[in-house]
Amino acid sequence: MRLRADFTSLETLLESALLRGAQYADVRLTTQELEGLSVRNGEVESVAGSRERGLGVRALCDGAWGFAGTASNDPADWQQAVRDAVSIARASATHRKPRGVELAPEPPHRAEWSTPVKIDPFAVPMEDRLELLRLACGRMREVGAVHVAQAGINMWREQKQFASTEGARINQEITHTGASLTAFARGSGDTQRRSFSDYASAGWEFVRDLELADRARSLGREAEQLLTAEACPRGPQDLVLGAEMMALQIHESCGHPIELDRVLGSEATFAGTSFLEPEGLGTFRYGSPAVNITADATIPGGLGSYGYDDEGVEAQRTVIMDRGIHTNYLTCRETARSTGQERSGGTMRAQGGPNLPLIRMTNINLEPGDWTLEGIIRDTKRGVLLNTPKSWSLDDKRVNFHFGCEIGFEIVDGALGRMLRNGAYTALTPQFWGACDAVAGPSEWHVWGTPGCAKGEPVQIAHVGHGAAPARMRGIKVGVGA
Amino acid sequence: MIGRTEMLSLLRDVTAMSPAEATEVYLSGEDLAVTRWNTNYIHQNLSRSNQTLTVRVIDGQRIGIATTNQLERETLAAAVNRALEHARLQKPHPDAPQLPPPTGRPQHEATGAYHEGTARFAPADRAAGAGVVIAAAQARKLQSAGTFATSVRETAVVNSLGAEAYHAGTKAYIRTIVNDGQTTGYADRLAADVGLLDYDDLAQEAVTKATLHHEARDLPPGQYSTVFEAVALSDLLRFLGYLAFSAKAVHEGRSFMGPERGNKVMSELVTIWDDGLDPRGLLTPFDAEGVPKQKVVFIERGVVRDVVHDSRTAQKDGRQSTGHATPFGRWNAGPMPANMLMATGAGSREEIIKSTADGVLVTRFHYTHAPEPMRVVATGTTRDGTFLIKDGELVARLRNLRFTDSMIDAFSRIDAVSGQARLARDWWSTFESWLPVVRINGFTFTGATTF
Repeated sequence: MRLRADFTSLETLLESALLRGAQYADVRLTTQELEGLSVRNGEVESVAGSRERGLGVRALCDGAWGFAGTASNDPADWQQAVRDAVSIARASATHRKPRGVELAPEPPHRAEWSTPVKIDPFAVPMEDRLELLRLACGRMREVGAVHVAQAGINMWREQKQFASTEGARINQEITHTGASLTAFARGSGDTQRRSFSDYASAGWEFVRDLELADRARSLGREAEQLLTAEACPRGPQDLVLGAEMMALQIHESCGHPIELDRVLGSEATFAGTSFLEPEGLGTFRYGSPAVNITADATIPGGLGSYGYDDEGVEAQRTVIMDRGIHTNYLTCRETARSTGQERSGGTMRAQGGPNLPLIRMTNINLEPGDWTLEGIIRDTKRGVLLNTPKSWSLDDKRVNFHFGCEIGFEIVDGALGRMLRNGAYTALTPQFWGACDAVAGPSEWHVWGTPGCAKGEPVQIAHVGHGAAPARMRGIKVGVGA
Repeated sequence: MIGRTEMLSLLRDVTAMSPAEATEVYLSGEDLAVTRWNTNYIHQNLSRSNQTLTVRVIDGQRIGIATTNQLERETLAAAVNRALEHARLQKPHPDAPQLPPPTGRPQHEATGAYHEGTARFAPADRAAGAGVVIAAAQARKLQSAGTFATSVRETAVVNSLGAEAYHAGTKAYIRTIVNDGQTTGYADRLAADVGLLDYDDLAQEAVTKATLHHEARDLPPGQYSTVFEAVALSDLLRFLGYLAFSAKAVHEGRSFMGPERGNKVMSELVTIWDDGLDPRGLLTPFDAEGVPKQKVVFIERGVVRDVVHDSRTAQKDGRQSTGHATPFGRWNAGPMPANMLMATGAGSREEIIKSTADGVLVTRFHYTHAPEPMRVVATGTTRDGTFLIKDGELVARLRNLRFTDSMIDAFSRIDAVSGQARLARDWWSTFESWLPVVRINGFTFTGATTF
């Protein structure tokens, strides 16, 4: 395939790495453009833009890895990055794994890929974007108790070239767009919050279709109503989660523990490890038969979608939980090989050129069931419906968790009752998913975009997606608080 | 590393490119090196050189911001133009901030912040340090995981009113988790001078924690007298730091520090303040607006005193900035503490444990969060060394516990504070604070995990 991008300068760096003794090397060159608008109480709080460029060199020498990243544009500094990556790899080799690093094979792709975009978000006049946010703020503040209304639009565009000593040459342009709304209401010594946010691999058409002004009005009203709502009751309840809450539940209690680098201990000192041991692959019951979870970097519009990962592996769809049984992980070329898999799942990504690629979530999805939210509620004698993340906390193997939610409703005799504030729930992960007996269907399923997933040392932020629909879990401890 | 002369010269040039009424240019650059190991081998090893330059213009009460990591003249001119364009699109802000003028005082030199040995620390040096810890673990047939990071950070601010500031500092941080396949033990060290890190001592502490009492017991949910080592305390203090000790949080009605000002809400043993020039911390002489750091006392013998300000919150309250502005990027957190310290008491960690009849010792926490910011209700789980105390002895290892408690209430029940303190970084790396060991009477544990 004939590529439009020129790889000559990257090829020079790869030759240098080989001359210095690297068994394998790859180079990424990225340019990132970001624009963020924030309006607060109708006034522009921040209009900010960023342009960043960077290069990352990964070298494998003597069976061990070295990486060097730089923001410089100077070819001399790029050559220095190659020398650094090689010398760092040699230092790593003084304490390397017994057999050294081995990589699962991947064809050396020569390809170009870009996010399908109907309307270039960067071409939409700033005045139009600001006007939309002002309108949304105004709708939230129609309610007297709302003292702070914030609305924001963010968009990113990344161009990246990847080249490896195996012959891969990949050029990608990835565009992400999304918006957020937050209403804070104050009264009687309490402050309550309602918020919404969603992001996608898409252009301005995604923000346009979010209907921000209508959502804003509902959020403002709900924030005010929460001030006088009943506190969430405490004790075991049938718990129905809204799709937004379910998206975070998937992220934290499935997305992170299936990262194979984490399972093997790479993140032990910071983000932790995982309860999903390789020995249980194919047999460990993670959840009930209603729980089907996939990792899919090919979903159109998903915030975790792309063409190729940052070690040149093609994007894929992988079944992670099959009717509740744990069947696979998120993998890279090294971890796939070390666990006997034939091919990487293609999940390595870095936050820009100067950062080291890590296994990151793609779109991790609870596949739709055959219920509706209305049907789930009608089928629930006593319980609570909770939605929208407010806080999240999990132990270092992702077993014990505690989530706080912005809004809740009691469910009594198959119908929604009073609004509830300060809702929270806690459980052990396999117990929670094991108690799942109803998942809503495709009409209520949506891939939610989460642009703030943190991992690694130094911390990198990744954009990921979660397909989710409302679902019910029986007998979960709710209302936990101090 | 760019250096003082070149960095200030570059920022003056960028400031001069802007025709706005007021322009501020902030540049923060970092050369970072990180070695990570696991199961006794190095699996990640990197260097990263990057910087962020932020242009903030204020023109006709309108503010525009642009950032870039590219320092070529054309890119910098483009960033200035973007900031001007962003400002032009806005309506005037009635409370648009004024840029801080030069203080007239010479910039405080943060002597001791920069160490050449840390700046020149090589990949082989980090591998050797990691090797000492790995060898100590292997000698006991244990496995070690760890992180060894060294960095040089330079920060400079120039504004069109003539304010200028530059600072360079180094940092060295090593931590390890030693694992016997079932139980873990943790230790870390943080300093500006890598030469102060004692790898043997670090390894010994983690090995001791990992091998003390092999079988973990359950502890029923309830309230327990709980001893927190400095790293564990750093996670509890973090909630107060980022949720409550900021003027922006007070202005927005999100912090108890506003309504409770002057009231005694915590134990008399609790005095917490921020001081960027205290040599016990990692020195930071000025903030993202170039304003010199002032000492700010948050809690004095349990009584609510003050919060930190940047120019904007100070202007709103009719006072001077305390020098706690955070960088103005795409998102700005408002003023935040940066160098917190807590007053020490009497006695050692061991004496506090010895004087505890029935309680829990916590080494550190994992992934904490605050479901209720106003009451500072926080939750999280313990990790890497949680022990049962009986009659002043660590008698058993406990399965990791989940706590859920209000930090205001918890700090009101502090009944012991050690005489020694150390530099401790919280799990999120939000703050690096000088902290003692404390004991909280009746700390609330609401659950437990399976390991």
